[in-house]
Amino acid sequence: MVQASKTQIDRLGDRLRKGPVERSDLLLLDGYRRSFGPAYESVVQTIRDELELEPSGRPAKSTNSLVEKLKRESIRLTQVQDIAGCRVVVPDILEQNRVVGLLLSGAFPEACVVDRREKPSYGYRAVHVIVEISGKPVEIQVRTTFQHIWAEISEKYADLYGSDIKYGRGPQEIRRILEEVSALIGKYEDLEEGLGQEAESVKLRDKMNKIRKDLAEILDEEISRVDNIRGKG
Amino acid sequence: MIFLIHYNRSAGEIIKLKEFEESQRVQAEDARIKMELDLIGKKDGDEVCLLEAGSIEALKRTHRRYFESLRMLTVSGSNTIASATKP
Repeated sequence: MVQASKTQIDRLGDRLRKGPVERSDLLLLDGYRRSFGPAYESVVQTIRDELELEPSGRPAKSTNSLVEKLKRESIRLTQVQDIAGCRVVVPDILEQNRVVGLLLSGAFPEACVVDRREKPSYGYRAVHVIVEISGKPVEIQVRTTFQHIWAEISEKYADLYGSDIKYGRGPQEIRRILEEVSALIGKYEDLEEGLGQEAESVKLRDKMNKIRKDLAEILDEEISRVDNIRGKG
Repeated sequence: MIFLIHYNRSAGEIIKLKEFEESQRVQAEDARIKMELDLIGKKDGDEVCLLEAGSIEALKRTHRRYFESLRMLTVSGSNTIASATKP
């Protein structure tokens, strides 16, 4: 198969942005997405072999997600860094730090890190490690269990109410809940990072337990709200 | 395992799920593009994606939104957070 040039791919991105998606464009996009396969497979295999973790992967971003990203951001298709990616969910922030450290110190020393814990993207928290192999970026998402719970609920809201929710728009009540839960998770995990220093541990655990209770209460209230929305559960 | 998923976002439900072995990557990619081409112009809200995991159970842990309702996600999230005690 003849590989499309960078210019052809960026023009494809322009057409996808404008829509509607044509058959010939889907075929061209398919070829472009498949070109990330070797880099993706190499990254996943390295994580399995060197970190003994089993990531779940998305060899290529879906057409909908890609078109939405192109419409949302003034970005060229060849600049999109998460065409291919994989995900690792770890129990807590201490393990997250350890896994990210291992990725950077051993497996992928040249990788670039986007730490969405320091600067959450509309409430989204995670660490993304972006590895480039033969010019093809592959995004490794490292999430804690709590960050993952938030992300899955946010994604589901986006499915049901529109992807604007993930970018600070959409129904105010849903945005408020997501922001509140994200902020509490951030506080909880900041405290979690301090565990291990004996003198402070009891106090930290008390504070963490209070935050967990608050989080569970907010989610329980949200369950009641969801129950009242017919057909959206 | 590789999983080809046809998901309807607005309904929040999987329409079709097909499994492939890791060695069948090309067949899985071929099936994905065929499915996408078949859906052109049919309706909005459809997402076709290829995902990969050690097992369907592993996939259901890392990509729950495809498999669970908003209520299920929120209930399990609340339960997980409530029971997450530190040693």
